[in-house]
Amino acid sequence: MRTRNRGLMSLAIAATVAVAALVAAAGQEQTAPANTAEVAKNWTPPRTPDGAPDLQGIWTNYTGTPFEVPDKSDKPEFYAGDLDGTGRGTGPSSFLNDTTDRQLTKATSLVVDPPSGRVPIMPWAEERRNYKLAHIQDDWVNFTPWERCITRGVPGGIFPAGYGSGYQILQSPGYVAIVYEMIHEARIIPLDGRPHLGGSFRLWNGDSRGHWEGNTLVVDITGYNDKGTVATNVATQRVRAIPQSEELHVVERFTRVDENTINYDVVVEDPKVFTSPWKVAMPLHREPDYQMFEYACHEGNRAVPNTLSGGRARDKGAPSAKTQ
Amino acid sequence: MQNWVKGAVIALVSVAGTLAISPMIRGPVEGRTPDTNVLRSADGKPNLNGIWQAVGSANWNLQDHQARTGPVLELGAILAVPAGLSVVEGNEIPYQPWAAAKQKENYENWLSRDPEVKCYLPGLPRATYMPYPFQILQTGNNDILMAYEYASASRVIKMGKVEPPPVDTWMGQSAGRWEGDTLVVDVTGLNDQTWFDRAGNFHSEALHVVERFTPVSPDLLDYQVTIEDPKVFTRPWKIQMPLYRRQDKGAQLLEFKCVEFVEEMMYGHLRKKTGDEKPFSAARLRWP
Repeated sequence: MRTRNRGLMSLAIAATVAVAALVAAAGQEQTAPANTAEVAKNWTPPRTPDGAPDLQGIWTNYTGTPFEVPDKSDKPEFYAGDLDGTGRGTGPSSFLNDTTDRQLTKATSLVVDPPSGRVPIMPWAEERRNYKLAHIQDDWVNFTPWERCITRGVPGGIFPAGYGSGYQILQSPGYVAIVYEMIHEARIIPLDGRPHLGGSFRLWNGDSRGHWEGNTLVVDITGYNDKGTVATNVATQRVRAIPQSEELHVVERFTRVDENTINYDVVVEDPKVFTSPWKVAMPLHREPDYQMFEYACHEGNRAVPNTLSGGRARDKGAPSAKTQ
Repeated sequence: MQNWVKGAVIALVSVAGTLAISPMIRGPVEGRTPDTNVLRSADGKPNLNGIWQAVGSANWNLQDHQARTGPVLELGAILAVPAGLSVVEGNEIPYQPWAAAKQKENYENWLSRDPEVKCYLPGLPRATYMPYPFQILQTGNNDILMAYEYASASRVIKMGKVEPPPVDTWMGQSAGRWEGDTLVVDVTGLNDQTWFDRAGNFHSEALHVVERFTPVSPDLLDYQVTIEDPKVFTRPWKIQMPLYRRQDKGAQLLEFKCVEFVEEMMYGHLRKKTGDEKPFSAARLRWP
């Protein structure tokens, strides 16, 4: 287990934010290079026995960078599920969350395209999110699939959540597998050029097909169902609980740029939900000593039944938390 | 032909037949010379990569069991329980007396007690012989992934020495090593929440599982497991079954994210009523 010291880290961050010189220092330490291609040119990744670039190991995605560039119209408490300011909700409202070992980069947001750093969400999708977040006490389908312990989705499962941040990549000839600590999912990506499942196949996480472009693993994902959400965790703020449609198309790129860093970027396209494609870029950090724990989420899920039973008590006239 | 001659011929033929097919079914005898028919990785170790599945009804009951009526009246023969021969060596699970009584009680209260009903993680060894495929990914740096279609369960088998597990979990901690052509997986740190089958066979958190995966041919693994739990059993006991390679064209693990299928059962009574509810029953199921 990595050791965590919240106080020290908070102090470090405050200092970093306050003092420009420290920002420069943090910039030197950052593992996300400004120009991927440039670094990739100067560094040759190790190879697996069958000659593929070796991405294997345990990686984490701690970050201190907000998902989107903040805007004054944002309602962080609402996105966190705290609808009436009573402090009830499904997580802390700050994007900093429990991310005590966060890594700093120069980026102002993980969303790098459009340049505004804001995801181009269609109004209906924001309304849909608002309805769902406001009605989690009515029906479990109003929770994100993460709270239901089904999945954090693809690519949502790689967006920082603040904890449960471990990913193990394993490779065998013709396959790359990503084991997600959160929800204990093992995502197996075939590289043999087989076509997408196609037809009527609709999956929570879509259907991943990968290939190598130089040292970059490119994964193309289609075949999503329309029950999932693009992002599930409070750290993704306004994008949390935004629905995915069956037209969602995702392209991920994993490039190992040095011993300890994979540059991960993903383009998300869903003409029913977003007015244009958008892109997230963020580093994954190699952390061999990180211990992934079993995330037996459904087995211990009290959030869903407790939230629902709270709703039924409310229906019967029980005082709300606000009036107590 | 005299009856005794007939009998002798039949006996001889069946002995010969058994001898001929037994290596295929029973797997290799330990210490046997490596089978040249086994797929190998570059490092000379057997290559277990692929999608595998147990065929049989061990998940219904590890022991001998006759076919019987299924749990849902309306589903008739569709969910009736198939018959199966024991995968337990000697067909006896050596329960301590209290535990034998508890297993019987589990059997009688199967639907309300079997963790599979609620889509809970299956534990080991049950994950291996559930009626879903699983994929083995053997890697260059020795960790081996086993990913199960059921409930998106998975485990990474760490090769070589590992620290003791810090906490008990549903899937435990798997440490692997090669003994000749056999992948031996030592599973510890299992909690007491999982079962061995749908017949109420259970264990405590003292469970220690040692699995042996031995390739018999490119498309067949012999799977043997030693099960030890001094709190529940009087001695260690063994199960054995073949695992078959899924050779379906384009075979891949699909999603069986069964949480979605149990939410109505687990939380339905807490849902806000809209007036449109229909009673949940087999009659509501829509078949393709």
